[in-house]
Amino acid sequence: MTRERVLYLAAAALTAAALMLPLWSFSMSAPQYPDETLHLQVARGGIGGDVQEVETLQHYIGVRFPTNLPELAWATRGIVALTALLLAGAAVGRSAAARWFRVACATLFIVFLAGSAAVVQARLYEVGHVRDPHAPMRSVRDFTPPLVGPVKVGNFTVWSLPHFGGLALVGAAALAVAGARRRAA
Amino acid sequence: MNRHPWLLVAASVLVTLGLVHTMGCGATRSARSLAAEKVYVAPGELDKYYGFLSGGQSGSVFVIGVPSGRLIREIPIFEPRAAYGYAVHENDPRRQLLLATGALWGDTHHPMLSETKGIPDGKYLFINDLANARVARVRLDYFEADRIVKIPNLQGAHGIAVVSPDTHLLVVNGEFEQPTDGLVTNPAPYTSVVAFLDPESMEVKFQVRVDGNLDIADTSKDGRYSFSTVYNLEQGRDMGSMIQYDRDAVAAIDIPAAEKAVAAGKGHVRNGVPILDPAENPGVLTLIPVPKNPHGVNVTPDGRYVIAAGKLSPTVTIIDAHTLKIVAEPEVGLGPLHTTFDDRGNAFTSLFLDSQVVKWNIDKAVKGASDYIVDRINVHYNIGHLQAVGGDTMHPYGDYLLALNKLSKDQYLPVGPDMPENQELIDISGEKMKMLASFPTPPEPHDATFVPAALLKTITKQTYAPADDAVKAGQEKVVRTGPHAVTVDMTLIRSAYTPDSFQVKEGDQVTLRVTNVETIRDMIHGFALPDHNLNIALPPGYTKTITFDAGKPGVYWYYCTNFCSALHLEMRGRMLVQPKDSTVVLTDWHAAENVKGQTVPGVPSTGANK
Repeated sequence: MTRERVLYLAAAALTAAALMLPLWSFSMSAPQYPDETLHLQVARGGIGGDVQEVETLQHYIGVRFPTNLPELAWATRGIVALTALLLAGAAVGRSAAARWFRVACATLFIVFLAGSAAVVQARLYEVGHVRDPHAPMRSVRDFTPPLVGPVKVGNFTVWSLPHFGGLALVGAAALAVAGARRRAA
Repeated sequence: MNRHPWLLVAASVLVTLGLVHTMGCGATRSARSLAAEKVYVAPGELDKYYGFLSGGQSGSVFVIGVPSGRLIREIPIFEPRAAYGYAVHENDPRRQLLLATGALWGDTHHPMLSETKGIPDGKYLFINDLANARVARVRLDYFEADRIVKIPNLQGAHGIAVVSPDTHLLVVNGEFEQPTDGLVTNPAPYTSVVAFLDPESMEVKFQVRVDGNLDIADTSKDGRYSFSTVYNLEQGRDMGSMIQYDRDAVAAIDIPAAEKAVAAGKGHVRNGVPILDPAENPGVLTLIPVPKNPHGVNVTPDGRYVIAAGKLSPTVTIIDAHTLKIVAEPEVGLGPLHTTFDDRGNAFTSLFLDSQVVKWNIDKAVKGASDYIVDRINVHYNIGHLQAVGGDTMHPYGDYLLALNKLSKDQYLPVGPDMPENQELIDISGEKMKMLASFPTPPEPHDATFVPAALLKTITKQTYAPADDAVKAGQEKVVRTGPHAVTVDMTLIRSAYTPDSFQVKEGDQVTLRVTNVETIRDMIHGFALPDHNLNIALPPGYTKTITFDAGKPGVYWYYCTNFCSALHLEMRGRMLVQPKDSTVVLTDWHAAENVKGQTVPGVPSTGANK
């Protein structure tokens, strides 16, 4: 089996795995939650974890828990399409055209990741800014959780981090890029 | 200087005195710091043991941490406790059970842990109500009483014990002797019974009649015998006639023999319980003579000896737990009441009159050696029970002992004539006992038992699993079920009741089914309703159903009694009681939707929040 084929099959396996795994995660800690940091996992099926508790807390500061997330459906379609492209990239052989196909694959993948990041970041901005004007605690300022990293919201420190699925996608993109590189003569 | 030699002398004396004083202080301080370190549990750190202290006439169980002595919880059992929403309202089934089985108070004496292989298994804590012949079972996963039973044919349920090593049965001593047929016209001498209960069904399986007053109980470690101290073999009915004989007894009941006799139908059934008469069933009861009016009886951890405390005699009687023969009767001090054990062959006996704990070596005492007394320590004052951690199991832990003193006198700031009880924690890890700390309690712990924190903290739950009848969020409703009946299904979560208002009519019976749908630990809410004798405490996941009368027409705000959140004070709602003949349709004055679609009462909106 050629190096390209191995890399692209592995990349396809990772993207397929990302369909099953949570993509992103948020952990929320506060002094009165000792040893019980709250966790949310975003998977393509929706948001799981300590949803009820987070919803309960959010209503104090008027944050609306995002329940309608059309981008998750689009993410699913995108990942399925990428998986198909990566499999094709594994199948097309070693010709120059095949290499260009893989370059296109890798480029598309990166564009997809960057686009997704932008969409998620926009959603995170919305969560922290489009708030209920009648919320009990108006003193907590608007906030924007970063895609990766911490943000302070009231008494909570919220960390955003990629979960297994997100890491799998990044890994798959790296493999797709590696498989598309011109080989040293 | 030569002219004033007395000045020099005086100066030297002062310096010497000063030095001695400083050194003395230093020594004292260091002993105090050592003791303080042994009991200091820093904020955020956890105790090593759970301690369960009977609440005496408080009818409850106090849960403390050892070694800190911090009160962690009171488990209400035989007495209503509004703070825990326990048995307060007249329609609360727990209140009705208390009334049906005796009274709205109890006198708890002896907390006993269920055992597996001779050590606590963390499943149950049993406790007696001396006053009303009841026994309660506390589930240690939820720290709540799940069964309370009345024991027939018995008055004064005093000593209790679980049958070691696997909690085969629960033993309950009847202290207050009764006519054998319960009839006041019966001229025959009064007698008592030892009751044996199934620890799972809490059903009284059988009773054994004993002609005397049954006091404290323990069992052999192999499940063969129960031991009860018996006084008043004279069967007297006043104090003078109860102390005539030189010796009373330890009653040893052969449990397998008694079970066999019951199975063979030898019991006389009274109030549904077979009672065995020892005269008709030889071998079931053995009376072992001990000095008159004994008190405590405790079996050594290795199961070899039974120690009966002399009370009026300065001795303990050591009985072979297998042959039931007395092997020694050493003197220990004045007023010996109870004995507990460490893991190194020592016994500790409380001396009520001497106000001391005496430590003595069991083997040496049995062999008649003269140096069996190891140490004595003063306690304050008039100690009753004492319990070393694990001293009531087959494997004592050997580091702490709690002295449960009857009087505190000068030990605390005076608080009027009714002084608190005084508990003292003693370090028994070394050869000499060391007093560590004291703490007061409300009236009146009699006895205590301990569980390693490592065992119980993994068993205890912090939220309730939703019950079958739990109200789910989104399924709240108010339904008129009859001309005078309304059912309200309610949920609560920070910081709102759903529904936040409901209407009933004067004369209605309101059935409220309310669920705390919180899933996070310690998020307890209350449902207090003014002028309706109603306070429900709802730990996370808990559901409570209660029916109450709507009461007089008016607006009644139900509110949260357990401080919960930033909007705790706003967490309330209204029960609107219309006059009986009213035809007015009430419309609400304002309700705003919050983000979760719950309506919350509030002032008219001021508009945008920016």
